[in-house]
Order: sequence, then structure tokens, then C-alpha cells
Amino acid sequence: MSSQAKTSSKETLLNAAVLHWMHDLAAQGIVTTDSELNVVEWNHWMEEHTGKRTSEVIGANLLDLFPELTQRRLDRHYKWALEGQVRVLSQALHGYLIAMPPVSGDHGYAQMQQAVRISPLTHDDRVIGTLTIIEEVTERVAREAELQAQLEDRSRLLSNEKLARNEAERANRLKDEFLATISHELRNPLNAILGWAHMMRLGTLTPANMERAVDTIYRNAKSQSQLVADLLDVSRIISGKLRLDVRTVDLLYIVNAAVDSIRPAADAKSIRLQTMLDPAAGPISGDADRLQQIVWNLLTNAVKFTPKGGRIQVKVHRVDSHVEIVVSDSGVGISKEFLPYVFDRFRQADASTTRIHGGLGLGLSIVHQLVDLHGGTVAVRSEGEGQGATFTISLPFVGVTSTQPEIERVHPTQSDEVITFDGLPSLQGLKVLVVDDEADTRELIREVLKECGSEVITCASVAEALVALEEHKPDVLISDLGMPEEDGYALIAKIRELPRERGGEIPAAALTAYARAEDRMRVLRSGFQFHLPKPVDSAELVTVVASLAGRAYKT
Amino acid sequence: MKLTERQSDALSELINIAFARTGAALSDLTGHRVVLNPPAVAVYRAKELRGALAKFVPGDVASIHQVFAGPIAGDALLLLNYEGAVHLTDLLTDGHKPSPYLDESAREVLTEVGNILLNACLGMFGNLLNVHVTFSVPRLHLETLEELIASTTSDKTELHYALVVYTAFQIRDSSVKGFLVIVLSVDSLDRLIQEVDAWEAQQSQ
Repeated sequence: MSSQAKTSSKETLLNAAVLHWMHDLAAQGIVTTDSELNVVEWNHWMEEHTGKRTSEVIGANLLDLFPELTQRRLDRHYKWALEGQVRVLSQALHGYLIAMPPVSGDHGYAQMQQAVRISPLTHDDRVIGTLTIIEEVTERVAREAELQAQLEDRSRLLSNEKLARNEAERANRLKDEFLATISHELRNPLNAILGWAHMMRLGTLTPANMERAVDTIYRNAKSQSQLVADLLDVSRIISGKLRLDVRTVDLLYIVNAAVDSIRPAADAKSIRLQTMLDPAAGPISGDADRLQQIVWNLLTNAVKFTPKGGRIQVKVHRVDSHVEIVVSDSGVGISKEFLPYVFDRFRQADASTTRIHGGLGLGLSIVHQLVDLHGGTVAVRSEGEGQGATFTISLPFVGVTSTQPEIERVHPTQSDEVITFDGLPSLQGLKVLVVDDEADTRELIREVLKECGSEVITCASVAEALVALEEHKPDVLISDLGMPEEDGYALIAKIRELPRERGGEIPAAALTAYARAEDRMRVLRSGFQFHLPKPVDSAELVTVVASLAGRAYKT
Repeated sequence: MKLTERQSDALSELINIAFARTGAALSDLTGHRVVLNPPAVAVYRAKELRGALAKFVPGDVASIHQVFAGPIAGDALLLLNYEGAVHLTDLLTDGHKPSPYLDESAREVLTEVGNILLNACLGMFGNLLNVHVTFSVPRLHLETLEELIASTTSDKTELHYALVVYTAFQIRDSSVKGFLVIVLSVDSLDRLIQEVDAWEAQQSQ
């Protein structure tokens, strides 16, 4: 055999091997056609993925086999290939050439995603056919999309981080400004105090000036003490150490007390202070001192920002399951820009306002936090600068349940009066068992409850009380905690062990002089539903009894 | 070698026909109106190419490269700077892949776009010269301009010229600038210019 023949036969063998590889082993789809687009080669990969056997397709026209090629105007690529062009079909612009199910798992594609090359096959400068190579890219495309999403997440995280950093920097700046304000605000009264004190020490003041000195010192010391109290509150709120002493409280009484305390300041500026209090608004559950602080802060603010001859209105009324306290004024108002930041700590409208009006700008922030702690909301509304402002506080109402005769709803009327005994719920038909070792307290409670129409059984000891419980079947129990021999805790423990029909579930309130939060917790854990502080407030007592009668004790 | 003004105009006009076809093909494919700005044509010696393009592609260049062979032979390339390549992909895929880098799918889209453009231009030259040219499968490369120029197939001993066609893809209020570069031997370029002259003479008759 000549060496040329040898080479040639080796080439033939190699070509055959390449064809074999293309047909049986290639991990791509390989299709060849003649110049009429009749299929010449259809490799194993194509068989496997299209379900069309090589024997079925050989000799058939590709465009007849897959009419969708013409429908999707992909036949053009074959036309161009027959003209000698190599064509690229990208997945992103075409998706796929020939529809087949995706192989590699579920990536959300109905069709296998493909990258395709269609090339002319030439011989002696003449195109004699086409070669199509199809590669599956479904998984790659899905992976790219995932990567893309991750990149987007990361860039979002980065921008969030940037936001957080800006926020932190802003907070820092506000704190710096706040420190500057605080030094200023604390120094101002101090200057007056020191100045006048110094003159008093010199002993040169006339009696009239002496009086003025004492007044000024007193006033400034008071204002400074208020600043310190506010600061302490804020610090307690920040550190989460502020605890509410929650009881059933008479909101109208609280609002009236706050109004009374602010009235001199309002009078001094000739500001008209109107109240519209709906007697049906109470009671609510909350910390009396803190609620008063809330109202007082709003009122102080209103007086501070309302010019001479202005008007402030305080309204308390019930809205569904809430009680609303509305404080509106005809003052300087709040600009739209500042409105969202009114309750921010360390935030004050602007430097000039701060300078005119002074203060630390903590009042409203404290209001917001305290209202939050009460499970309520506070909102502010202002039509803009010079248009006045309205603050609305909404607190959850502690209902006197429907088994009780409902308090007649009174339309809010203009009134400065403290709520009267008449506004209290009737206790008609109720039997109340009162246990206290002190005769005076027993009698006081008996009188108050009788006044409201209830029948009262009094006992001086736990033993007596247990007998009375079975004998009289009372609706409500009011018991003192501190008693000789057995105390109120022992009584409630024994009662709660009794079956329901023997009074085991009687609603109960404890009377105690200890008003600390820990004591209240112990009272409630031991089986009482309410805690009434001594000295007993008549209105509170009646309200609590009415409220208790409406619900049975459930374990 | 310098083109006369008439040659340059005639060549621009011919390439513009190819560009119009490319624009039509891309519009058809993407559903958005794609227009390729009228080309500006210049001829450089291959070794001047770097200097001519350096300003446009200071960093990495994305090139879609097809080698063609036959009576005229050389390298045809579509050049885009990296940002342009990313932007063009975004525009053509409707921003489905707004990615700061070119992933495999984006590269494939660019390859297809380059392929369409190069086919249109070289096909037009083939028709003009009435010769049959065969193409390699297009490849996309990301490399520096130096690396790119070094990768063209032209025989380094022979004098080569580069036909540099400046254009810009206009898609959806955006514009992506690019260069079509055809590197030819002196012979091939001579032949091309003769045919262009003939075509121009025929047109003006």
C-alpha cells in the first residue's frame, strides 16, 4: 500500500470515527441537511430529546418535520445558511430553535433553552447543505438569573446599609444639637438663680427686689426641675425602664386636673381654654400620673405655641372602643415638612422657633412614648404654619360590659366641671362582699357602694368572709390585703380553690396601700382581677365594681 | 492608502445598505425600532489601528470576530467598549438582564448581533464583488485593544489595511456607539476599492 493510500484510509477511518462520535456521543444536538433542507444526520442526542427516531427523520424535510420553524420565522436562518452565512441564535433573543422538554431539572421553563449555530456546509465554494448545532443552556440561564438576583440583593443590602449609616449619622448629629440645646436650656435658669442669689448674699436688695429675687429663683428652679424630670423620663424610656402603674382610672378627672394646673399659664397669656368632656368617656386602664403628664405636656405645648388672645380646646369623647383626647390650638401650627418629625426625640421644628420658645423638644416625644405604652396612638394634624395644630390621642376603652345598664352617652358639652357622682354606673341589684379589718374603711366602702344601689356585706376577717361568701353568694369581692392572722392573699387562694357554684370564680379586687408595680403583679397573679390603691377613690371603686360584675373569673 | 472622497462616499453608501438591513433584522428580532446611524468610513494601516481606536476603547473591548476566507480574505469585527456592550444587551433584551457585567447569555446576544451586522456587510461585499466568501463561526472576545489587534488572523509580514466604519445603534432613545472593523490585505482592499469605483460609476450613469 502506498503511503498516500495509507494516509487516505487513515483519514477515512478518522472521518468515520468523527461521524460516529457526533452521532452517538456528542452532548449537543447535531442535525445536518442537504441543500434542500432534507435531514441527513440526526444524532442520538436529538433522538433522545425530541423523541423522534433517526430512522423517522432521515430524508424528511426539516421544515415539514417542524412547521413551527416557519411559523416562528426561523426558516430564514436556514435560507441564509444556504446563502453561505453562519447564523447565531442566542437564547436571550429566541429561547429555542426546536421545542423539546428541558432536561436539567425544573427551572421554570416549559421548553429547553437553547443556544444554536446554523452553518453552511460547503464543497468547492458551493453550499451543499447545513449543519445545526443545538446546545442546552436552560440550567446556565437559570443560574445566571439566580446570580443576577443575588447581585441585586447585595446591591440592595449595600444601599440599605448606606441608609442605616446615614440614619445613624443623622441621629448622632441630632444628639449633638440636643446636647447644645440642653446646655443652653439648663444654663439659662441657672444664670438667673445665681445672679439673684448673689445679690441676696450681698444684702443690698430692697424688700421689693428681695421678693422679686425669691420669685425668680423659685420660678427658674422649678423650670429647671421640670427639664431634669423630662430628661429622666426620656432616659427611662430609652433604657426601657419606664413602668406604668396601670389601674382603672377616671380619665375626665385626670384631664381636668391637667387643665386646672395649666390654667394660670393660659390666663397669663389671655388664652381661652375650653373643655368638652363626655362623661361616658371613662374609665380607662392606665397610669394616672403618666396620663396626666401626657395631657399636661400637650397643654403646655399648646400654651407655649399659642399667641396672646388665642384659643385652646380640650375634648374628651368616646369613639367606638376608644377614648379620644383632642387638644387643639390656634397657635403657630406646624409646617408640612416638619409634621412627620413632631414626635421624634431630640427634634425641634427649627432653630429659630427653638430660640423663641425654648424647651428641649422632649415633651411630644415623651407623649408619644407614654401613649404607646398605654396601647394607644397619638396623631397630629396641622394645616400649616400659622394654622394651629390638633393633637389626638386615642386610648383603648375598658368597657363596662353589657350586663350592666349602659351609662347614658352624653353629648360632649362645654363644661369645666369635674365629673359628678351621678355619672357613675349604677350598681343596682349587685351584692358586694367587702373584707377589711379596719372598721373605718369598711364603712366608707359600704357607704359609697350603697349610694350606687348595691347591697353590701362586710366582714373583718378571712374566716368570716368565707362563711359570708357561701351564705350570701355575692357578685363581687373587695378585699383588703394586709389583715392580721390571714391576709387577702390567703383569702383569694382559698376562694379560688372552691368550685364555681360555691363562689370560686367570684370576681375580686384587692385593696392595698402598697402601690408599687411588683405588688400589683403579685395581686393579679394571686387571683384578683383588680388592684385598688388606698386611699380609695369613690369613683374608681364604683367603676371597678361595675366592671368586675360584668365578668366572671375564669381560670 | 487613502480613500478619495468619492470612494469614501460610495463605500459609506454601500455599508449603509448593509446597516439598514441590520437595523431591520434587529428591529424584527427585538420588537423595538433599531436604527444604525449612517456610517463614517476611514482606512488605516493595520498598525495605526490601535491609535485610531484607543480613544474609544480605553479599557476592555468587546469584539465579535468572524474570519472570512475566499477571493477576498481577512477579519471582520464589531467593536464595542465594555459599557456599550452591556448597554446594548440591556436594550435588546428589554432590560431583562440589567446586569453590570456580561454573563454568558449577554455575550451570546452580542454574538448574534455582531453576526447579523457582519453578515450583512460582508454579504453585501460578496455580492458586489460577485465572489463567494466563507465565514468562521463568530466568536466574542473581551480583551484589551492590543490583544485584539494581535489576534487578527492577518499575516504579520504582509501589509494590511483596516477599513474602520464608525456607527451607533439607536434603540429606544438610547445610543450605543461601536466600530465595524474589516482588516484586509492590500490585494483584497485594492479589489474591493476597484469594485466600489465601478459600482459608483454605474450609479452615477
